[in-house]
Amino acid sequence: MSHMPKQAKPVEPLASFGRYAGPATLILSSLAEGAKHGYALTKDIESFAGVRLAPGTLYEALARLEAQGLIEALESNDRRRPYRLTAVGASTLRAHLDTQRRVADLGLRRLAGNFGAA
Amino acid sequence: MSTSSCPAKRAERLVRLYPKAWRARYGEEFFELLAADIADRPRSWRRTADLLRGGLVARCSLFGLCGCALSPLEQVRASLVTLGCSTAVFLLFGAAMWSQLTIGWQWSRPDTAATVVATVVMSVAMFALVILAVLAAAPVLWSLVSRLFRGGDRLGAPTAMFLLGAVVLFVGGRHFGNGWPGTGGHPWSYRGLVPGGLAAFSWASTLSVSSYWAHPAALARFPAAELTWMALSPLSIVCVALGANRIVRRVRLSTAVLRYEVRLARVACLAMLVFLAGAAVWLLYGGPGPRNLFHAGAIDVAGAAVAGLILIVAERATQVARRGVFALAVR
Repeated sequence: MSHMPKQAKPVEPLASFGRYAGPATLILSSLAEGAKHGYALTKDIESFAGVRLAPGTLYEALARLEAQGLIEALESNDRRRPYRLTAVGASTLRAHLDTQRRVADLGLRRLAGNFGAA
Repeated sequence: MSTSSCPAKRAERLVRLYPKAWRARYGEEFFELLAADIADRPRSWRRTADLLRGGLVARCSLFGLCGCALSPLEQVRASLVTLGCSTAVFLLFGAAMWSQLTIGWQWSRPDTAATVVATVVMSVAMFALVILAVLAAAPVLWSLVSRLFRGGDRLGAPTAMFLLGAVVLFVGGRHFGNGWPGTGGHPWSYRGLVPGGLAAFSWASTLSVSSYWAHPAALARFPAAELTWMALSPLSIVCVALGANRIVRRVRLSTAVLRYEVRLARVACLAMLVFLAGAAVWLLYGGPGPRNLFHAGAIDVAGAAVAGLILIVAERATQVARRGVFALAVR
């Protein structure tokens, strides 16, 4: 992404998004690469996570992320409006992924300790 | 129909599952995504189910009942509006039950401890709800008056609607309450120990919550003026609620006031719960009492059920409003 936002304090952990935490993480991770519109987001998420977000779920999560100021809509000449990550969104995603990584590392260490390395 | 236009037509139809306000913001881009998705996967019941659920969530969001798809400020406003409506409906059904008990007490003391406890508990909760409504209205009224003096736009019509409904409700309630011989018979009523006037007013203003609607033969024997009032009083309540809601949406309340309103909302939910507990004691253990004065009929059970549902809605709106206030504070 050419326009990389500055560091900002996370608003609240993505976990508070409830059932939208998963889609929100996928969307933010996709937008970390650069601005995308809805269909491009669906395709990108499908390619890197193997999950195809249904249109309703995608837009519910987008609306929540936008309302929380984690993403913002860009002006567009056609009907497909692209979205990009905000500074707050980047910090929130980083904090969320750090937590997930700690959990994943711990889980893998315990698995390796009790069941052997994969 | 050509194959190329088919996804577009289906997408157009599916987008209509979402409310107008949501479509105004996301409609065009969502249509593009849907059309592309339908072209990729022409038939998908999962997508249809997802859109049905999404449309419902978007509609609930507009009423401040779920999520944070609106901006935090709009979310808190929407939740407070829903909460105001919920409280109005709760008061309507609650006052209908409460006035029945207090009017009964005008004539004879209840013969069961359960009815006594229920009446006292419901009276305390009712009083608390009215006080909370006044406390909640005060800052809104202050903002409204100051904005009206500064020529606040789009506030005249809702203010007129609110005042019209309130005047009709007050005058009609007083007229029909005074004209009815059902109150004032208790020997203590002259001491003001039993709120005869208030009970009569509550009874008169909630005449529309009546099981007589299900008995047309009995209803036909009512005087024409009373029948007119039974139809008119809910309309005046709707006017009051709609006017108040539009005022809350349009008047600019500060974050501090919104936080204060949300705190009051939490106490109001507690008061509603206490009222319902009292009502449950009456419905379950009260008994008909002397001369059937405290008999709980099907309309009371239905009223309590409606009030229970309203409490769930109010609690949900309060939770969403709290989240909105939190988000506002963080910003």
